[in-house]
Amino acid sequence: MNPIISARGLTKRYGRTVAVDHIDLNIPPGRIVGLIGPNGAGKTTALKAILGLLTFDGELSVLGKNPARDRAVLMEDVCFIADVAVLPRWIRVWQLIDLTEQLHPRFSRDKCLEYLADTKVTLEHKVKQLSKGMVAQLHLALVMAIDATLLVLDEPTLGLDIIYRKQFYTNLLNDYFDEQRTILITTHQVEEIEHILTDLIFIQDGKIVLDSTMDEVQERYVELMVVPDKAVQARGLSPMYERELFGRHIFLYDGADTEQLAVLGELHTPSVADLFVATMKGATTKGGAA
Amino acid sequence: MNRMIALLRREFWENKGAIRTTPIVIGGIYIVFLLMSIFTTAHYDSELYTFREAVRVLANQSSEFRGMVMYQGMLGSSVFFTVVMGFVIFFYLLGSLYDDRKDRSILFWKSLPASDTLTLASKLITAMVVIPTFFVLILVITHIIMAIIGSAMILSVDGNPWTLFLGVANPLKAWVMIAASWYAHSIWALPMYGWLMLVSAFAPRVPLLFATLPPLVFAVLQTWIEFLRTFTLKSNIVGVVGEWMVNSPAILTAEVHDGTGKIALGVPLTEEFDHAVSLANMLDRLFSVQMLAGLAVAAVFLAAALWLRHRATES
Repeated sequence: MNPIISARGLTKRYGRTVAVDHIDLNIPPGRIVGLIGPNGAGKTTALKAILGLLTFDGELSVLGKNPARDRAVLMEDVCFIADVAVLPRWIRVWQLIDLTEQLHPRFSRDKCLEYLADTKVTLEHKVKQLSKGMVAQLHLALVMAIDATLLVLDEPTLGLDIIYRKQFYTNLLNDYFDEQRTILITTHQVEEIEHILTDLIFIQDGKIVLDSTMDEVQERYVELMVVPDKAVQARGLSPMYERELFGRHIFLYDGADTEQLAVLGELHTPSVADLFVATMKGATTKGGAA
Repeated sequence: MNRMIALLRREFWENKGAIRTTPIVIGGIYIVFLLMSIFTTAHYDSELYTFREAVRVLANQSSEFRGMVMYQGMLGSSVFFTVVMGFVIFFYLLGSLYDDRKDRSILFWKSLPASDTLTLASKLITAMVVIPTFFVLILVITHIIMAIIGSAMILSVDGNPWTLFLGVANPLKAWVMIAASWYAHSIWALPMYGWLMLVSAFAPRVPLLFATLPPLVFAVLQTWIEFLRTFTLKSNIVGVVGEWMVNSPAILTAEVHDGTGKIALGVPLTEEFDHAVSLANMLDRLFSVQMLAGLAVAAVFLAAALWLRHRATES
């Protein structure tokens, strides 16, 4: 199958700073990909390149098109929510729906109205009269009513309370996602999306430090919890990260022999958040030593 | 085409106040002033004696003269509209590529399948066609309402408004002239519109300052250097811009001299163009060397604005 996004040596420089540094990507259809990284790691820059919002070096193809050149055509099949606050504040809801209907060949007004019926948003509301959560619901209703192939979400739930955040992802998963669509998400609230992801990409200092499916992640990484007197032994098996919790030592291993570890203590599948911290801190330590 | 219409509607929605309400307010002012003058007359003029006299005197004038007064009066009444419309378009264009960068909604607009070229074109068409069209329509409605009020007033003193002024006037010609002069001015003003859009795409903040300060500083420097070299004041940017405004095909001057109106295209100070109000004189400007130079300048500004719009989401 043709990949939805493929990048080779994708690079973006701002003067002397390299925001994205020779990234290779290959995202097939039907995936929900989490792009996770600390602040300033280059997540948003990478997304902007994919959306045709900036120029770049290297090769990048989204749905077979060059986004820097063909943004307008590409946007017929790609939707994005950049963050909560980008809908124009002066516009009324009915105007927004009219406009999207006239500009998007694959927008369904009925679907959009159906999604909005479950919210408190009315057609006469101006965007500036809506709460942050309602704006997010409105934007999601617009986007879900477009029959797009790729949906890009950059911190879509920033500043929303937990009820809206949960609802946002539930709607997305139940009413929108299917085998033909691909969703690319960045967020700091990793815990909230880890159960919906099929693929995980970690990005640090403009480079990709992890790119694998969630299944591979679960096979490859294991967390071991040991009592203090077993700690030295566990440390000897070259863990990638160690932390302490209530007097217990927790080690994270990459591709270790689980049978060998099981003897020392309890085994768990690490959460994405723990894996993220381990990968980032581990890499920093290695970098510092070198 | 549908996309262009959608984008034009978006410009109208966002700027409804400037595009529709402003001309309605001006028309309202005209009508209110007319009513005020009627009430003043009715208050001080016992049994409208003076007004009756005025109607009688006017009726004794030739129909050509009355037709001419009506025609010149209608053209003259457009000048206030023209000036305010100039301000409306100035500020509209200054915000056209700036406002959505400031409130970050540019990320939403760029998520729609409309190219930057189409977006820029929709904003330019709004300035060149949509705004003048609204102003023309509302000016026409204002004229009609004023004619109705005037007729009622004349009927009340047993005059015949049709033979007195309605029948001899040529309103269609006046409206066509005004509309034509505004559309011609849209083309004439392209270098300025291009400059304003360029500033709007470029200014990090306060586009008004970026639009006015550089030409001002440049003009002062140029005038000064020119003066040092030649001890005369000629052909600097102040002169160029001034001459350009003076030669505009818009109806800008309305004077009354010895009872006859003198309505002119632009300001009748230069000899290069005929300032009399006629379609031929408007076309003469649009097919001049000056216009060609102006279009070249406009093309450079607009291309730069488009380039900047394309890169507006870079950082």
